[in-house]
Amino acid sequence: MDVSNIIESLKLIKPEIAVSASLILVLIFDLIFHKDKKLIPYVALLGLFATGYFVIHQFGTTGFGFATKSTFKAFGMVTVDSFGTFFKLLILISAVLVLFFSSFSDEIKKTTDRLGEYYVLIFGMILGMFLMVSATDFLLIYLSMELLSLSSYVLAGFTKLRDRNSEASLKYVIYGSVSSGLMLFGISIIYGLTGSTNLYVINSLIQSPQINVLALSFALILVMAGMGFKISAAPFHFWTPDVYEGSPITITAFLSVASKAAGFGLLIRFIKTGFAAMTLNNGYWMLNPIFDWKLIIVILAILTMTLGNFSALWQNNLKRMLAYSSIAHAGYLLLGLAVFSNQGIAAILIYFFVYMLMNLGAFLIVMLIADKLGSEDVDDYDGLGYTSPFLGISLAVFLVSLTGLPPTAGFIGKLYIFSALIDAKMFVVAVIGVLNSVVSLYYYIRVLKHMYLVKPKIQPVEIIPGLSQKFLVLLLVVPVLFFGIYFSPIVELAKNCVVLLGF
Amino acid sequence: MLQVGLTHFLVIGAILFSLGIYGIITRKNAVMVLMGVELILNAANINFVAFSRYGNFGLNGQIAALFVIVLAAAEAAIALAIVLNIYKTYSNVNVDEISNLKE
Amino acid sequence: MTLYDIIFYLFALITIGSAMLVVTTKNIVHAAFALLLTFFGVAGIYVLLAADFLAIVQIMVYVGGILVLIIFGVMLTNKITSVEIKTGTLNVLTASIVIGVFMGLVVSIMVWTGWYSMPAPIPATTAYGLGETLISDYALIFELLAMLLLIALVGAASIARREKESL
Repeated sequence: MDVSNIIESLKLIKPEIAVSASLILVLIFDLIFHKDKKLIPYVALLGLFATGYFVIHQFGTTGFGFATKSTFKAFGMVTVDSFGTFFKLLILISAVLVLFFSSFSDEIKKTTDRLGEYYVLIFGMILGMFLMVSATDFLLIYLSMELLSLSSYVLAGFTKLRDRNSEASLKYVIYGSVSSGLMLFGISIIYGLTGSTNLYVINSLIQSPQINVLALSFALILVMAGMGFKISAAPFHFWTPDVYEGSPITITAFLSVASKAAGFGLLIRFIKTGFAAMTLNNGYWMLNPIFDWKLIIVILAILTMTLGNFSALWQNNLKRMLAYSSIAHAGYLLLGLAVFSNQGIAAILIYFFVYMLMNLGAFLIVMLIADKLGSEDVDDYDGLGYTSPFLGISLAVFLVSLTGLPPTAGFIGKLYIFSALIDAKMFVVAVIGVLNSVVSLYYYIRVLKHMYLVKPKIQPVEIIPGLSQKFLVLLLVVPVLFFGIYFSPIVELAKNCVVLLGF
Repeated sequence: MLQVGLTHFLVIGAILFSLGIYGIITRKNAVMVLMGVELILNAANINFVAFSRYGNFGLNGQIAALFVIVLAAAEAAIALAIVLNIYKTYSNVNVDEISNLKE
Repeated sequence: MTLYDIIFYLFALITIGSAMLVVTTKNIVHAAFALLLTFFGVAGIYVLLAADFLAIVQIMVYVGGILVLIIFGVMLTNKITSVEIKTGTLNVLTASIVIGVFMGLVVSIMVWTGWYSMPAPIPATTAYGLGETLISDYALIFELLAMLLLIALVGAASIARREKESL
């Protein structure tokens, strides 16, 4: 690869460059103005908006960057297409929201001393996620996942004020490094089988009959361990409740939305680029028969949502309950992938957009209440609905949306996933999915029951959010309700973004 | 059988990998688990280098191994910083005993 | 059996023997020192695979960096002078059986797969080729690693730093 090729490729990774530049800027700013940390959030916000400018400009751009000598075709290790750009936008929006959350969170406020590091690490996460959703080379996939992991290990234990923070951090780093080690071993076997780490090359070589199916399947299962960890799919989900409960709420919210989005973007691109022989005219993908992806993904999806939903039933800590609920949502999203069609991908994109709004919203309310109440226990929510009507009603909207009931946006997300399944004639799977949603109704409604119906033992505290906090909540509540009724903009956006460069 | 070839190196990698997993599932101590992870990373690296040597795939495999070594260093630094931090809080690094978060 | 083969078996023995010690010994300090031998053994295997530069990196980074970190971790988290360090192991017998079967599976996959095998001539040195590939083909990943190390630096410093507002 010569210099001109590199310069050409640099044009494709402008958002990533912007993120890196912002990261370094925040770091330098932190060093120079170490007495007064008030400006750092604004610098970080500025960096995110600059990145957003480049991401929005990237819509419609397609191309391959950083092709290597050994990739005999022009395919590179970075692929830019609307699909990746959609996920980048999703990650960026949630990053901006989490930045606002952080400025309200008491947990983060107490660590003013290390505020600079907090934002640097968030930018590290964003950089890792951006590269994950556009990577088509195993080395880049592995390293960008590690960049995301390393930053989130630290952030999970960032506040250090409570024991459970460092505990979450330790659990995360142990499970994370094991799963990434397994993935790396899988990658090394695939490299041995094909002689390349590039997904496009692997796709073309994998069709030859002399590829050993047993070795390939073994390697792919190991790789799935790494990716399953990132999207917290069962049976690689066991870290999720502990880490989500133990981390600062802002980080939990970010992990549950952005990190999961990046994992899904990566998984979808990995399967499509590495294993789809071609896309049929009706939008269905023809996958290489060498590995039964459909079976694996369907099993993973059913296992994930059932485990997530049933474990959530017994949770009293709201953060932990939302952790299990996010596992269940990963299951629904995997159902969308199991269809292996453009329609399924569109459904995933719609669902993710909605999921981002409602999940971040639920975490925001839990955070605002926890800051005042000092507890996330559902028993302490007794009677809160009457003393703090604004937060109560907003939480109700988010929880109803997470259940997937109309007229909220959550209903639209589920509707598209299940209709994709029915179109693909996967009726049994669809029924299991619907039954799971019914189960989830129980634990979401339980929170509402505590807020409105249970008589409080002590006089509940009155929680009045500030004006800016109210505004932020409204920023999430209004779209959840609005897109529940008028959803064609997201559907249009998602349908335009299913274009994946590949076969 | 005695003539050393690609398979011999791969078998070493496979054994190291299995031993690493053994270490991970039998150990309680966080530092010991990390040692198991290091064994797995080394196993993968042996695979990469062996394939690169015998498969005539160019230097890609060695580059991959190089990246993994750098990454392992970064990961070890973070992981051990976290272990030290938790030791300060609990005076204990056994994974099983740190279970405030379990219900 | 040529000299190459003998050296190979020697290094294989060192690597696997010390790795077994790492995962079975009850004394964590012994495990750390056994790990040192494993890393040396792997470096020797790299030399046999004509990866001279990588072997040096292995010794410099793994032995000189990572292992020192691990030993520091061991020393700082245990009062070795006063108490003997023991780490209990969980159901060793079950784990041994499971891993024995698993190892058989992995080894047989490695042995029975028809790998593409056509050794290229050994270059005089790999350092030149590696350096060139690193800044041309893998320029992006090279830069990504730079960011990753920066993040690791910031992260490790942020965790290990003494907290002003701690409890």
